[in-house]
Amino acid sequence: MYIILIYDISTEGSGARISRNVFKICKKYLTHVQKSVFEGELTQSKLKKLQIELSEFIRDDMDSVVVFNSTQRRWLKKDFWGMNEEEKTSTFF
Amino acid sequence: MVESYYLFSSGELKRKDNVVRMTAPDGRFKDIKIEMTRDIYLFGETSMNTKCLNFLSTNKIPMHLFNYYGYYTGSFYPKEVNISGNLLIRQVEHYTDETRRLIIAKEIIYSASYNIYRNVRYYHQRGKDLETQLDQLKALRKLISRAKNIQELMGIEGNIHQVYYTCWAIVVNQKIDFQKRVKRPPDNMINTLISFLNSLVYTSCLSEIYVSQLNPTISYLHSASDRRFSLSLDIAEIFKPILVDRLIFSLLNKKVISESDFDTESNFCYLKKNAQQKILKAYNERLEKTIKHRELKRHISYRHLMRLECYKLIKHLMNDKNYEGFKIWW
Repeated sequence: MYIILIYDISTEGSGARISRNVFKICKKYLTHVQKSVFEGELTQSKLKKLQIELSEFIRDDMDSVVVFNSTQRRWLKKDFWGMNEEEKTSTFF
Repeated sequence: MVESYYLFSSGELKRKDNVVRMTAPDGRFKDIKIEMTRDIYLFGETSMNTKCLNFLSTNKIPMHLFNYYGYYTGSFYPKEVNISGNLLIRQVEHYTDETRRLIIAKEIIYSASYNIYRNVRYYHQRGKDLETQLDQLKALRKLISRAKNIQELMGIEGNIHQVYYTCWAIVVNQKIDFQKRVKRPPDNMINTLISFLNSLVYTSCLSEIYVSQLNPTISYLHSASDRRFSLSLDIAEIFKPILVDRLIFSLLNKKVISESDFDTESNFCYLKKNAQQKILKAYNERLEKTIKHRELKRHISYRHLMRLECYKLIKHLMNDKNYEGFKIWW
């Protein structure tokens, strides 16, 4: 399934450390598109794995992670207003 | 769902933040999401360190290397993780026993030639006159079951290909002087395309074999010579008609690829960089394309069919179920 993940980490307390770690973990599974936005194709099990990895850091009372999922990429229409960042998700470089 | 990465730009490949990062000289970079990567293809001039290789190895990601001209030069094959001594013994047994080896080899040729036949029939139905070739192919396929040894089988395969290649001039709408397959070096556009795409199919097969328990060096149709992953040649044989040949026909007939994509000074031997990219994109799309599998009753990508082929072979080797090669059914 195709995932869009966004997070918001509060800067209170050890926020910097947490946001750093969340960023690094997300990067292993998804493509970094904008500051705290990731997207990409994941399997159910990989998503679970990602959730478990993140749960170690996320503070339930302060931070939030929102996951949008679409069964397939083709069910998702994507437009660019402003810069075209199509190549970010491409596997060619 | 996992992805293959094709890196054309030159630069550095390094481990960073627990992912592999490719940095181009101008500072642009691409992070390769390690958890969702199947394999990496390198076409540019890349430098990397052992840290990066170790990291790829622990994440079980094979890396395929191509030289400046787009020729496959080798693979970084991570430490085998799915190993089975039992299966290896069976694999060797089936190789050394001529009759058992012939059974598998025959099935490979039988399916490959069937797929070739279907390709020709497809274009015949679309108004190209290929009647004689179809009859010839039919006749040649009957000889397969009667072959007594591998050499004879290879001979039949050669004949099938000879007939097959005579169809190409009729199928392809561009004017290309293509008579027969020439390698090292390829002498015209079609031969160059075949060489380039064949090497891609070999690597895709190798990546799939890596996931299965099979040992990639022991093959049945091709001789298991040194320094080659010959099993991937065997499995690729079955898929070449669908993946390589069909793709070449469509690329040339839709004029996606034309003379201007080749380096003419070298006798069309080399593909230009942007042409390589175009082809790879098309090839990748084709691999991701899915079909509904009859037995499994779910959608399967062309790439996954290769994996299934490995599993079928394993079943055969373990005397579980007789191997039946993949034959196009749609």
